[in-house]
Amino acid sequence: MPEPAHKAASAAAPQAPSADAVFKALADPHRRQILRLVQLRALPAGQIAAQFEMTQQGVSLHLTVLKKAGLLTERRDGTRRLYQLRPEALRPARAVLDEFWPGALARLKQAVEIDHHPTGDDPRP
Amino acid sequence: MTTTGELVASVHIDAPPDTVYPYFTDADLMVRWLGTTATLDPTPGGVFAVDVDDTAARGTYLSLNPPRSVVFTWGMPGSDTLPPGGTTVEVTLTPADGGTLVTLVHRGLPAEHRRSHQEGWRTFLGNLTTAAARSRPAS
Repeated sequence: MPEPAHKAASAAAPQAPSADAVFKALADPHRRQILRLVQLRALPAGQIAAQFEMTQQGVSLHLTVLKKAGLLTERRDGTRRLYQLRPEALRPARAVLDEFWPGALARLKQAVEIDHHPTGDDPRP
Repeated sequence: MTTTGELVASVHIDAPPDTVYPYFTDADLMVRWLGTTATLDPTPGGVFAVDVDDTAARGTYLSLNPPRSVVFTWGMPGSDTLPPGGTTVEVTLTPADGGTLVTLVHRGLPAEHRRSHQEGWRTFLGNLTTAAARSRPAS
């Protein structure tokens, strides 16, 4: 549930993926399970794939979605790539959730009070 | 914040409940504060569909008691943690100080599903961030 006001801000920085990308990445049980596996330690893709009844290619696709959402860091260790949770990427999603209804109700208050003060009296904030 | 899958929010509005109520049932008024397009059929079982930015909120009205309360379900197509109709939003309008106190409670899944809802991503996010905060990444 994104904040409409942030629509324009999401394009540039891969460091700051939109809350929406995070929500979409989290809306899959396999991807959530992957994040649990790598929340405390970095693992290679093969070791992650071994936990699932899924092709390595399937796991690789999930890893790509998680990386694009900023939820995973990837680093090289010899020939292997290691993946680990990037917890700070979860913050915007949690903030949106916590702020969604308070934000919406604030807009409701503003809308009602503007609509019903046709004389132009300034509505109380 | 709670860990029960329940969110509560409230606001005082300087207008009576009769005035505030249609903002939850009339599509043109709904989009003044929530979403960009809305399709609403404010009857029990009727459609509640609001597009918030590029996310679709889909559900049905469960009960309507104008101008005091309205209950609808809320979810997102394609989401297994917030499926359409998977959560319930209860709005109560109480006359207060010459205006209206709007109280909104967004509840998780019904009681029989509550255990699985604990696995919902809200709890999941909390668990992950707590765990991550405890463990400093090896430098």
